[in-house]
Amino acid sequence: MMMTDEQYFAWLDGELDPATAAEVAAAVAADPELQRKAAAHHAMQARLRGAFEVVATAPTTDNVVDLESARSVRAARRVLPSMGQWAAIAATLVVGLVTGTMIPSGSDTTVRTNSGRLIASGGLDRALDTRLASAPLEAGARIGLTFRDKDGAICRSFSDGAAQGLACRDNEAWAIRGLVQGADSGRGDFRMAAGADPGLAALIDSQIDGEPFGAEAERKALDGGWR
Amino acid sequence: MDFDRGLQDCLPRLRRFAHGLSRNAADADDLTQMTAERALLARDQWVTGTRLDSWLFRIMRNLWIDTARSRARKAAFEAPPEAGESIGWDPRPGVEAAIDLRIAMAAMARLPDDQREVVALILVEGFGYRETAELLDLPIGTVSSRLVRGRTALLAMLGE
Repeated sequence: MMMTDEQYFAWLDGELDPATAAEVAAAVAADPELQRKAAAHHAMQARLRGAFEVVATAPTTDNVVDLESARSVRAARRVLPSMGQWAAIAATLVVGLVTGTMIPSGSDTTVRTNSGRLIASGGLDRALDTRLASAPLEAGARIGLTFRDKDGAICRSFSDGAAQGLACRDNEAWAIRGLVQGADSGRGDFRMAAGADPGLAALIDSQIDGEPFGAEAERKALDGGWR
Repeated sequence: MDFDRGLQDCLPRLRRFAHGLSRNAADADDLTQMTAERALLARDQWVTGTRLDSWLFRIMRNLWIDTARSRARKAAFEAPPEAGESIGWDPRPGVEAAIDLRIAMAAMARLPDDQREVVALILVEGFGYRETAELLDLPIGTVSSRLVRGRTALLAMLGE
């Protein structure tokens, strides 16, 4: 048969009707060159898929809210250092879902988008700007940990009962690095709760450079405008 | 089907598609984030009972097309991806060494946009020709000829 490249590859991809496929198969069976070509393309496709598979099998947004898989992410990180990066990326991905679906309207945790970035605003922005972790409990967001990330930006974890998250200083604003549905509503003690959610803890783990700030370093950072 | 669940389930595949389209991982994750945001905004436009994954892939592909101009501008200031030069894998028989994601992305980035999207959808994501044609609003013949050119160029880059 006269066979076009399109037909040959459609056969290779299983896209031909049975009758045409049989004709092409017969032609290929009689031609070692076409057989070699088929094998080369199959191998190339397998390698291509293999290379991209790492993206699809990386921990996804589930890990931010799913305890069990968050644990396995943490376990996996010990084996494969780069998994931390994936966890961080995955955690930022959930933000779109959270803002669209989870933040109750009227909550004091306010987040807005700016050029595609999620930025703290309103009460959350004020709390991140002015509150110390040692501040007495009152309405609005509470601050958990303050630390510098690997790029030197100051980051703070926060919670207001409806949501927990991590925000980092970026161009005079608090950019949201991750946000998960809050699980601590009604509980008084949030001091240690920066790690209350395993996904958030993993995110902090992957971003932090060294140790979190103590009270004095936190106060200095506030006075210095979080630079 | 529940929209939020469906979106969440599809995110890993969307992210993989974004990596197939984008020049680097940061751009790919931006594109994934934008797609999730856009999908949530437009969720009322999804018709229940139709395929959510195709709808989401189409949103991502259109966002990617929309940013083509700024992408080209940016690329003019960046070094071209060094794909072909450094590509290779363990030649020992029986060792099916995986190619690195970075190398695969660099090779994809060297394909023209119209071939890259077809290759990503069919060879990587596993969509059929017909599904791909519908997703891209193209005749099926156009899809299959772009696929021939794209995979032939890829084979030359990724070697045998």
